[in-house]
This record gives sequence, C-alpha cells and structure tokens, in this order.
Amino acid sequence: MTEFEPQILAFACHYCAYAAADLAGSMRLQYPPNVKVVHVPCSGRVDIIHILRAFERGVDGVFVAG
Amino acid sequence: MKVGSNLEKILTAGYFAATGELGPPKNADPEVIRRKAEILKGHVDAVNITDNQTAVVRMSSISVGIMLLNMGIEPTIQMTCRDRNRIAIQSDLLGAAAFGIKNLLCLSGDHQRFGNHPMAKNVFDLDSMGLLRMVRDMRDAKKFQCGEEIKGPAPCFFIGAAANPFADPFEFRPYRLAKKVAAGADFVQTQIVFNVPKFREYMQRVGDLGLLDKVYILAGVSPIRTAGAAKYMATQVPGMDVPEEYVRRMEDAVKGIPKEDKAARKAAWEEEGIRICVEIIQRVREIPGVAGVHIMAIEWEEAVPEIVKRAGLLPRPQV
Amino acid sequence: MIVAEQKSLDEIKTMLAPYQKVLIVGCGTCVTVCFAGGEKEVAILASALRMATGLEGNPKQIMEATVQRQCEYEYNEAIADKLKEVDVVLSLACGIGVQTMNEQFPEMLTLPGLNTTFLGQPTEQGVWVERCQACGNCVLATTGGICPIARCSKSLLNGPCGGSQGGKCEIDPDVPCAWQQIYDRMKALGRLEALLEVAEAKDWRTSRDGGPRKIVREDLRLEK
Repeated sequence: MTEFEPQILAFACHYCAYAAADLAGSMRLQYPPNVKVVHVPCSGRVDIIHILRAFERGVDGVFVAG
Repeated sequence: MKVGSNLEKILTAGYFAATGELGPPKNADPEVIRRKAEILKGHVDAVNITDNQTAVVRMSSISVGIMLLNMGIEPTIQMTCRDRNRIAIQSDLLGAAAFGIKNLLCLSGDHQRFGNHPMAKNVFDLDSMGLLRMVRDMRDAKKFQCGEEIKGPAPCFFIGAAANPFADPFEFRPYRLAKKVAAGADFVQTQIVFNVPKFREYMQRVGDLGLLDKVYILAGVSPIRTAGAAKYMATQVPGMDVPEEYVRRMEDAVKGIPKEDKAARKAAWEEEGIRICVEIIQRVREIPGVAGVHIMAIEWEEAVPEIVKRAGLLPRPQV
Repeated sequence: MIVAEQKSLDEIKTMLAPYQKVLIVGCGTCVTVCFAGGEKEVAILASALRMATGLEGNPKQIMEATVQRQCEYEYNEAIADKLKEVDVVLSLACGIGVQTMNEQFPEMLTLPGLNTTFLGQPTEQGVWVERCQACGNCVLATTGGICPIARCSKSLLNGPCGGSQGGKCEIDPDVPCAWQQIYDRMKALGRLEALLEVAEAKDWRTSRDGGPRKIVREDLRLEK
C-alpha cells in the first residue's frame, strides 16, 4: 500500500509568502511536488468559495499563507 | 363607593388595609387552595390570586377566585395581557363578575421567556394601561372596549394596578402611576418594598402629583425565607431593590448555628425574615399616602397570620 | 431591509433528498446585503451541497443563479430557461421571493433555503437588529422615533414596565429596554410631556391581525 500523499493547495500572498516561495526557487531549495501554489495579490483576497472549490476539485488541504 | 367590595369598604373607611396573595397550583387539585386559603382567612381583607405568574401554567385565577368566594374569602383576581386578547379578557371578566368577584388587578404580565412555555405565542393586544381603561369603561360607561353598549348588568370591579417604584427610570415612575390612575386604577399594589427610603421618596413624588386623593396605595411586602433568597432577590431579579443590610441580617441570623442543624437554621431564617417584614410594614405605614400593605408570601402562606399579628393589624375590621 | 438567515445544511439536505438536479437561486437585494442569500452565499451553499452529497455517495447536480430581486416577476424571467434543466429550485431569497417563484413557475417547486427573520437594520458589521413589525399604523411620531411595537418585548404602548432596570429589558440583559430608550430620547428632545398621556389601545386591524394585507394604488394601475 502506498503512503497517503495529500494534495495541498497553497494560496500565497504576493508580498510575503509568494516572495518567499520565489526566493526558495532562486536558492534551488526543494519542496514537495504535491503542494500547488496559487499566487494571490493578498491573502485577504482568499474567500471561502476559493477554499471550497479547491476541495471540490479534490485537494486534501488548503494552505493560506500571507 | 364604586363596587362595594370588602377591600374597597376597608379603604374608603380609612382603615389600614392588609391583602394577601395565593399562587394557584400547577395541577387540578382544589385541596391545596383550600388549605392555603384557610391559613389566610380572617387575616387579610382580600386575597390576590395570580394569573399564571412568571408565565408558568397554573390553575386559572378566576376559578380559584370562585373557590375562595365559596369559602367566604374575598378574592382579588389578577388579569394579565400576555395570554388573552381584549375579546378573551372581557369574556372572562363578564364571567368573573357573574360569579360575584369584585376586585381585579390589571397587569401587563411577565414575558413568557422565563416560564414553562417559552415557545408560546404571546398576545399583548392591550397593555396594562389599555386593560385598566377597558375595565373602567365596562364599569362606568357600560361599554365594551369597542364602544358597544353592554346591555344588562355590566361587570363592576374595584380596579387595581401594579406599580414598581424601584424600576427605571425612577423619575418617571410616579408619572406612570399617574397614567394608571388616569386610565382607571382605584388602588395600587406595589412591587415588594425593601428599600424604604427610596419608597418614601417615590411616595413623596406621587403626593406632589396630587395622586394620594385619587388612588389607594398598598405597599407590597414579603418575608424573606433564607439568606440565599435575599441574595437572589438583591442581585438576580430585575426591578427588585434589596438593601445590603437585609442580606446581611439574614446571613447573620444563622451565625453560630451549625450547618448540619437544618431545622434550627430554617427557624432562625424564618424568624428574621418575618421580623424584617414586620419592621418594613411599620415603617411604610408611617409614610403619608400608604393605605395598606399587600403581603406576598407565596408558598409560605403560614407566615401571613404571624406577620399581621406582630404588625398589629389584627383583628381585621368588619365593614 | 428584510433580514434572513440560512437554514442549516442538514435541514436543506433533508428538504432536497428526493431531488437530483437542483437550482439554487439567490436574490440580489436584501438578503445579499445581510449575507444570507446573495450570489456569494449561493456559490458557497452549492459547493457545500455538491461535496456533502458526493461524500454520501449520491452527488447531486447543483446549479447556481442569482436574480436581482426575486420578489418581482420581471427579474425572475431571466432564469426561466434554467428551470427546465432541474427537478427543484432552492431559493435563497426571503419568504416573499420563494412565494413569487412558486406563483410564477407553478410547474416547478421552489423550496426555502432561508429563514426570513425580521425587518431590521445592521447596527454594526455582522449585527442586525429588529426595527419594525409592519404594524401598518406607524407610532414613531409619538415615541421619539423608537418603535415600541418592534423593540419592547411586550409591545407596550405605555412603558416602561416594572422589569426595566439599568436600561435593560427583563427578558435578557443583552436586550435594551426600548421604553428607557424612548424616555431618554424624549427627554433629550424636551418632549417628555408627550409621554404623560395614556396611549390608547392599538387598533391592530392594520397589522397582520386584520388578515393578509394588500395595497391597491389606482393611480398606478395600468388596467382598471
């Protein structure tokens, strides 16, 4: 049996979390491929409906970073 | 003399009146009523019978009133606006009058929120002021509330109203009493008085409005049964004003009595409660315009004979 | 405005149990501004229902629409076509919208997704309070602009009753005593003498007690 690998959707704020993810990329740091990043102008833009739609489409967890 | 009830005769003759109160049972047992009424008989001039007080279903005020009439005790039935519209109230009052009931206390009624049927729909078609005016017009103008003439005997009640001198806004309370008098109140029974100085101030203002010649004011009194009850009334009951002094006296009453000796503690509390009640009666009696006392000892009717005796209110005058 | 609250997801699921294709119809007026049944709430409820029914192994088809004002036929016409594709409509409008839909589209059942709560006002973000009972004979002129019918727990016309203490109503320390508010306001207006008159018993015929109400404006009607 394969180990459960959750699919995570991360909403990342342009000014901090996304910048951090960008920096991680420049530094060639690895992060797991089952985290998908959605770039948002501000974490305040993230609405309940975005989270619900993510779950509807099959993700196992939502990560809001800002 | 408007009606000729015993209570009205006592008051118009200038005697200091004493009325009692009886809470009907939460069942159909007539024996409870007979037992309680027997205790009050001869000790008070009339007995109020509550109308589903605190919005808890109880035997109807009018039916208990009829039982009291049959026992030779004068009832004062209570009528609230919470459960009946003007049609039902007038209908019930026609019946009450037909049975010979002569005193009626008109109330808005406690909200059902704290009763045993908080899910009930309330009525409040009239408020207490509208109720007073309606029963006065039924008596004096022989008219139903709609204006239609009452052909044949109209219901004649000695009309009472309630007043709470301790509710807010204090400065408006005497004016609200004036409105009740204008609406038809012949007598008033007040909320339980513990804060005598505040009540004196209220009575002064009522006098300043020229109301003392127009309405008989009976000060409400009640014996406190335990220190816990004193504390509860002081802190938890909206519209009650119990000075700290009485809470302390009730607490002190059981000092030195071991907690296990429940009978002795109960006796000490009851003695102090009755003593405070008698003191308050004597103090309110000195206030100009106080025409009597309304003693509320619901579920402790046994205290009433002792209170009226110690307050020097016996024997009750025969009028 | 009309203030409403969404029914629980459980109750909605039970109502929808016999149906497979559901159209949720929001309303863009009162229930949008009280965050109960606007476009956004429709989307959230639709998503929640798709997931909930999916998890239970019987995913329903949930469609979404929002009209500008569900209590008027003209606005509802816009979704007439969508009704052909579904088994039932779940309305997120007030009770008026639900009834308009049922009347306008009699072949389709429209169910209520909201509880219509009261006529009120948002007093702060996220808080709505009742202000009017539509009694049909406004008394605000005599009470300093504060309604005793809607805001006094006993709808007294001659308050405050003996249960008023510290500005609060006896039924709940969180409920302000409307009559204390009326008193304070009349005092501030220098009009306390108006409270000295006994207010007459109200004629409730103009209220719901007189039967369902109707207004006919002949000057506005197209056919007579």
